[in-house]
Amino acid sequence: MTLITSAIWVYTIGGILQLFLKEENKCNLLIITNFVAAALLAMPVMFVLANNAVVESSLWMGMLVKNAIFRLDSLSAFFILIIAGIGFLGTIYSKSYLAPYIEKGKKIGSHLFLFNLFIVSMILVTLSQNIIFFLISWELMSFSSFLLMIFENEEKEVRQSGINYLITMHVGVMFLTVGFILMYLKTGSLDFASFNGKISELVFAIMFIGFGIKAGIVPLHSWLPKAHPVAPTHISALMSGVMIKTGIYGILRMLFYTGRPTITISYCVLIIGLLSAFFGILYAVAQRNYKKMLAYSSIENIGIIITGLAVGMLGLAYGNYVMCVLGFLGCFMHILNHSIFKTLMFFTAGSVYTQAHTKDMEKLGGLVHPMKGTALAFLLGSIAISALPPFNGFISEFLIYLGFLNSFSSHNYFLFTVMVAAIGILAFVGAMALIAFTNAFSIIFLGSPRTEKAEHVENDVPSVMLLPIYVLAFCALVIGLFPQMFVNIAAFPVLNYVNVIMPHKLLAVISTFNISLFVVIAAVLGLRALLLKNKKVEKRETWGCGYQFPSAKIQYSANSFTRPFLGFLTPFFIRELHFTQIKELFPQKTSFKSRIFDLFEYYIVKPIVIVDEFIISKFYWIQSGHTQKYLIYGVVFLVLAIALLIGGKI
Amino acid sequence: MMFLIVLILPFFFIGLINKMKAIYVGKQGASIFQPYYDFFKLIKKGEVISDTSSFVFQIAPSINLACTIIAAVLLTLFHFEGDFILFSYVLALGKFFSVIAAMDTGSSFEGMGASREVSYTSFVEPAFFIIIGSLAALSGHYSFLSIFGLLQSKNEIVMLIAILAVFAIFMMILIEGSRVPIDDPKTHLELTMIHEVMVLDNSGVDLAFIHYASALKMLLFSALIAAIICPQYLWASLLVILFIAFLIATIESIGARIRLTHIIEYTFTMIAVALIVMALVLLIMHGGRF
Repeated sequence: MTLITSAIWVYTIGGILQLFLKEENKCNLLIITNFVAAALLAMPVMFVLANNAVVESSLWMGMLVKNAIFRLDSLSAFFILIIAGIGFLGTIYSKSYLAPYIEKGKKIGSHLFLFNLFIVSMILVTLSQNIIFFLISWELMSFSSFLLMIFENEEKEVRQSGINYLITMHVGVMFLTVGFILMYLKTGSLDFASFNGKISELVFAIMFIGFGIKAGIVPLHSWLPKAHPVAPTHISALMSGVMIKTGIYGILRMLFYTGRPTITISYCVLIIGLLSAFFGILYAVAQRNYKKMLAYSSIENIGIIITGLAVGMLGLAYGNYVMCVLGFLGCFMHILNHSIFKTLMFFTAGSVYTQAHTKDMEKLGGLVHPMKGTALAFLLGSIAISALPPFNGFISEFLIYLGFLNSFSSHNYFLFTVMVAAIGILAFVGAMALIAFTNAFSIIFLGSPRTEKAEHVENDVPSVMLLPIYVLAFCALVIGLFPQMFVNIAAFPVLNYVNVIMPHKLLAVISTFNISLFVVIAAVLGLRALLLKNKKVEKRETWGCGYQFPSAKIQYSANSFTRPFLGFLTPFFIRELHFTQIKELFPQKTSFKSRIFDLFEYYIVKPIVIVDEFIISKFYWIQSGHTQKYLIYGVVFLVLAIALLIGGKI
Repeated sequence: MMFLIVLILPFFFIGLINKMKAIYVGKQGASIFQPYYDFFKLIKKGEVISDTSSFVFQIAPSINLACTIIAAVLLTLFHFEGDFILFSYVLALGKFFSVIAAMDTGSSFEGMGASREVSYTSFVEPAFFIIIGSLAALSGHYSFLSIFGLLQSKNEIVMLIAILAVFAIFMMILIEGSRVPIDDPKTHLELTMIHEVMVLDNSGVDLAFIHYASALKMLLFSALIAAIICPQYLWASLLVILFIAFLIATIESIGARIRLTHIIEYTFTMIAVALIVMALVLLIMHGGRF
């Protein structure tokens, strides 16, 4: 535990030092502190993951909060592994990403201070097992991420999305606080350990909503696609790859104390998971801002994680332990996998942004030629995130599918119907992910440049920026090729819920197939090279069916690529079209505009906001601007408080 | 054994369809082995590559072929829990590459083909998984073993399920193989721009690989049908495949393509059949009582 304490101190002191250093050295210090702290954390985390140990300490915080207990168990260790690992890669990436901002004269000291604070707060969230300290760390995490997000706060859009994020997070905290108060009333203790088996269904539901807002489950996801596009890349990568997982951590932690979940609540969780996966990826297909697209894809992946969780819960509820272990293992592996490939995707997206200065994919094209390294990484990431073999995304989805299939041995009719439907939906989600990512990759990187912005991109990002990207791509590939080794990381967290054998054997089979897929691809490519040896390979312009003057504008755009598919699914979103039709004989100026609205935002969030605004407008008179009035409020409050205290005593 | 036959047969399957189609319209038609001649001619040639394209365009056909071969291994050689998931996802990886290769040329025709290909085939996977998933519940095998010899069951409802499954998988062959009524393999012109138009810029070895991979994919789905009907005897399986070729040729000779906007109805019929299979399995689990 001393190692962990010292790691936390390294983060904190490193953060504070940021405020005093010279601008050029700040990023280096950030990398060093994160490396040292991650190295310090590695030992205890690996120890706990390998031995299922529980390390407990009251840290120095005992002075602040009575009985503030910090506990490192396998569940926290699993999340700390992700937080510290991705955080460290994020620092390497941010050095080059922030360089242009430093040149412009932007002060980044406070930003980097907050970066360390953000990572510390996430680690503390997973460590603290005391209601009060948990909520403090949770708030610290929300607040520091809010400040990090509004890095480019000169722009109005950034500020607006930031406020939106802050408010949404506090709605979430409200639910959490209510849930924790209910638990405290029941057990009379602030320590999580005393909740064991005492969390009722109602409390679990409240906590699920509270944590779900952080995780971005449908229909509480509306902050996510707003926040990610405006945040600087290394922050959106951390927020999407790591922070939203703390919501999942909370849900898993609460589930841990719920004992055996009931059937009803497990089905509810499954429905939420599938809804998030389906709508997340559907809206991802419809986006033209590539960062927004990635944000929606995060919602999809959270949906898949929750689906895996629900399979595990259903397994517990029905007493089908094979299904249960597959579901939980799929859930944990997908948490790890998503944090790897989503960070990879955000990093490559950020590289595209630093070179091309636009987030609109319709304005890009042909970037594969100047930015070969980034393009290849984006391609590998796209394959992984579409859950295709031989990458890691496939492994976790495969485990969840197997969980679905193993439910059949319970011989329950209702379960069978739901599970087959879920298999169908998950397969459709996979197909949609393929559309979303082939679309993004081909519109951003392939074809010829669509605008001047894309034409002016001349070189790739520096190799320092490519380094963390390729580390992540390598991780994604290795987990895909040797899944039977990596499930061990998730083994003990899973075994906390259910104690049965891991599907190592089956994963070894998958591993063989993934490797042989690799070998066969290499063999066929070799064959092709052999056949083409000593033969003429010419480069000519693309065949235009006899048309002489092709232009970059006649290429397929993202909108036209997804148009036929979205046409099939029109009931699931709201499309606004503005089209001025040509009515005269000769060509005129014309325009076409289409916007796609999120169904949930339109029908659920918007009405709530309107009602809320109406109610609040009736209370405007309270905030009059007169100091005298405010003083009176204070006095009235004090009097009431004293009266209550005295009244309570008597 | 089956694996080797599957690897050799694809072009025979295509040649057979073409011959039958020729006979239908009163022509003599090319030899059944014509696709083989074309294949060997193509792999002897050099290539012409679009200057807009990148490395993706050059590796994609080979990756697509490798994926289809792995799918063939999964169907014919090894069976393990969840093999059909890997089968479907490996084929999806091949599709992923063929789609981005088409987009790589920057041609609007190929973009159109790619866009339509992903849109229509995205409904195949759910239907396929629902069918095999339901059959897995019925048989207790969570792999391709669940569908083997389904038609030979004594139970009438199981036979009905087998017939419906065959029907749905046949519909999948037509979508995945881009045949009439979804697409017309004879032409790459505007009306039918799906599969053929995606490979407009490919030539030489790459084109040969693409033709082989798409023929192999069709043959794999046909082999699935053969497995449902009669997996014990090789000759019976081959007979079934022959019959499927005949059926495809017949449909192409007497029918026309569906309008593009109506293809969605076709795909939803497929999903509906899959759901009926699921309902029937539920019925059997109830012991055949209503």
